[in-house]
Amino acid sequence: MNAITVEGLCVKANNRHLVENISFSIEEGSIVAIIGPNGAGKTTLIRAVLGLIPYETGSVLMFGKPFKHNNSHARVGYVPQKIEFDRTFPLTVLELLRFTVPPFYSLPFRDRSGEERINSLLKTVGMQDLINRSIGSLSGGELQRVMIAKAIVNDPHILFLDEPASGVDIEGQERFYDLVRRLNKENGLTVILISHDLNIVYRFADNVLCMNRRLICTGKPAEALTDEVIKSVYGEMMGGYIHSCHEHD
Amino acid sequence: MNTISEFLAYPFIQRALMASIMVGMLCPFVGNFVVLRRMSFFSDAISHAAFAGIAAGALLGIDLSLSSLLFAILIAILIAFLSEKTTLSHDTVIGVAFSGAIATGMLIIGMMKGFRGDIFTFLFGDILAITSMDLLLIFLFSLLTITILLVFLKPLLYITFNRDLAQIEGINVRLYEYLFFVIIAVVITVSLKIMGIILVTSLLIVPAASAKNLASNMKSLFILSCTFGVASGVLGLMASIYLNTSSGPTIVLVSIWIFFMTMLKKK
Repeated sequence: MNAITVEGLCVKANNRHLVENISFSIEEGSIVAIIGPNGAGKTTLIRAVLGLIPYETGSVLMFGKPFKHNNSHARVGYVPQKIEFDRTFPLTVLELLRFTVPPFYSLPFRDRSGEERINSLLKTVGMQDLINRSIGSLSGGELQRVMIAKAIVNDPHILFLDEPASGVDIEGQERFYDLVRRLNKENGLTVILISHDLNIVYRFADNVLCMNRRLICTGKPAEALTDEVIKSVYGEMMGGYIHSCHEHD
Repeated sequence: MNTISEFLAYPFIQRALMASIMVGMLCPFVGNFVVLRRMSFFSDAISHAAFAGIAAGALLGIDLSLSSLLFAILIAILIAFLSEKTTLSHDTVIGVAFSGAIATGMLIIGMMKGFRGDIFTFLFGDILAITSMDLLLIFLFSLLTITILLVFLKPLLYITFNRDLAQIEGINVRLYEYLFFVIIAVVITVSLKIMGIILVTSLLIVPAASAKNLASNMKSLFILSCTFGVASGVLGLMASIYLNTSSGPTIVLVSIWIFFMTMLKKK
């Protein structure tokens, strides 16, 4: 079954197309990478699919039904590229994760719901010792790991990751993508991942969706990302890079 | 010099003390959201919208508390609506509403003949002039507002942290935004008679900002802000009685003194 079906999606801002007539489908349980140069509309596409920004035309279905934020048939987790928040916000890791756990209308300071699940997830992402730390004091890598724990705390069907490991050291990136792969294999989680790192795309993605406002190609990374495609999307400089990724793979 | 117990024997002092405790809890409780969302300018605009409401109420001969409440809610919703529906920045919309409210209020007052003391009570506040009916209204609104905020605390805090993430979790962000703006309007109007239009936002902002200097989690933020709010109200009131100064400014100066103490502790 298709986890996501997008048909003819167009997003406009100031009479300019940010995403133009994009159609694709993503199979349940797969990891799909979205690649493209800066300004290609990758984040806009994800935000439109998630209903965070309006789209001009087109349709988005999740598991065959239109996506609504409070639908239980398609729970989604989202790790944005950059989390905009006040660093002095006196919010602990535990309190942040509790935001996501129902019930929403209980007295939050007496709320013990989901505590076991939260503890186990923080252990999975290696953050169990930082449960009472203020989120503003976390490093980029620590925050990303907390955000992925937060994104999966409610057992989502689909996980959207927008350059989730940007600003994270190499070791942290490895741990992060290993975790994503493990969740995909063990829980059948569908993962949609935006990444600039072709190496990561080759190693972790089942399929790739290459775009530059329009869809350029789609398919398995080794087949879809030809030298010509990479050159046309990223320019001449990236032509040789593709071979090193193949070799690494 | 009179002792505290002698002062407390006066019913108007008792009412003032109770009002300072209630408003000292209510304002910082809501103020936490205002500070975390960096909406101090918005609360200023709302208090000035209440000024236009008071002037309009005086002109039309309707209850000033009611007219100020209606105007404050109307302007709060208008700001939220324009920010949502236009490409104008939130700051610009607030600036326009702020100027519009002040100009309207001044225009109406200029049209009226004679001195209106009741208008000046709202402009500068007078905690010692609080009546039993005022106290009852403050109590009821405080109870209602804090209950609503406690029930919806989790979604409201989630939206304050990050709108997009809250929306994806199925929280109706738009509805909660409007609810919150109306709550700010209500709280400001309820506190007007005590603090006055000019100083009312300080009781929203300063104790919450002081608590933010020290708090390590949300629970401590709410407890500390309300504690600082009540302490500012009670100590400020007592100081104003002993020093024979205006109550509103004294309460604000006490809260600012607490703010600087927390700054030192923070360092």
